[in-house]
Amino acid sequence: MHAVNEPDEIKKKVEECHGAVEVTYPIEVKYCGNCSMPIEYCEYYAEYDKCKEWLAKNYPEDYEKLMLREVEEAAGASAGGMDSDRKRQKRGGKGMLRAKKDNEDDNELKCVRLSCTTRGKNKRVTLVAGLAAFKIDLRAAAKFFGTKFACGSSVSGDKEIVIQGDVKDDLLEVIPDKWPEVPRDAIDDCGESKKRGQS
Amino acid sequence: MFKKFEEKDSISSIQQLKSSVQKGIRTKLLEAYPKLETHIDLILPKKDSYRIAKCHDHIELLLNGTGEQVFFRHRDGPWMPTLRLLHKFPYFVTMQQVDKGAIRFVLSGANVMCPGLTSPGACMTPAEKGTVVAIMAEGKEHALAIGLLTLSTEDILKINKGIGIETYHFLNDGLWKAKPVK
Repeated sequence: MHAVNEPDEIKKKVEECHGAVEVTYPIEVKYCGNCSMPIEYCEYYAEYDKCKEWLAKNYPEDYEKLMLREVEEAAGASAGGMDSDRKRQKRGGKGMLRAKKDNEDDNELKCVRLSCTTRGKNKRVTLVAGLAAFKIDLRAAAKFFGTKFACGSSVSGDKEIVIQGDVKDDLLEVIPDKWPEVPRDAIDDCGESKKRGQS
Repeated sequence: MFKKFEEKDSISSIQQLKSSVQKGIRTKLLEAYPKLETHIDLILPKKDSYRIAKCHDHIELLLNGTGEQVFFRHRDGPWMPTLRLLHKFPYFVTMQQVDKGAIRFVLSGANVMCPGLTSPGACMTPAEKGTVVAIMAEGKEHALAIGLLTLSTEDILKINKGIGIETYHFLNDGLWKAKPVK
């Protein structure tokens, strides 16, 4: 059912794309560190300026090429008038991507919150929230707490670790020891949590 | 299709594949993309065990041994390569080139309209309706999207109106952003 092209045609196309150079596979494509697309598509990204910055830092040669091309294009546009524009179809609508407002992670305070709740009548559990903000693997952390305190420990919900037993005071010591990137000041003792522990 | 795809929420289960099923998929892929034969061992090594991630909306992703997404499909549709794979081996999928003006629309997930394929900057390779195509762009080297022809290329030329390629996967959508699954 899938139509197959003539081999020549494909070859021609590939040659067009890669300047008739012998290609070895897999092809390595340079991806932009800012928008993650191949660098030739950066100009369609909302934060093109940031992409440029990134490019200048990481691939200076490509950046220079890009600059050269832009200058040429600008010169061509002013000299040739609207010639190139006229040929093309115009399209309406708002095609441009908007910059997304995903500053949530940045706005989230970088602090680890410890709290205690009771589970049942006489059992205590410790909740640790906010470790994810430090790019710590929660599952590994839960496992670590479990072995450290010899108790049950699990990741509950999204960004919270539940440790069985009241180990809040120990945690204040253990966390900065284990992860030096978490400063002691960033650990917040929230005391008794009103929220009932998840059963 | 992958506009609202999010790795964390959209993948509901991951399965290890039986070797018989793996073979089935391999032959299916080779049937669909005969030109893949030279490099399929690079993409899906024979000894490797692949996994399938079942996602919402009847989407399935084929993961190779390292957990990278290599192919995807919708319901019982054809397997389509992900863009990351296509960038590495661009030759095995039929290419259709759109003109410059269409790029920004395709990059925000729009289907490709016929005029975008017939205007001066564009270029089509003849293909039947329902073919998996790589959407290239005027003046660009790499593919920017993957889709399915909803009309044959002849019809596109003739009708020159409405949707010509249904876009399935484009740069910077959810699947593009998804990281290799552990």
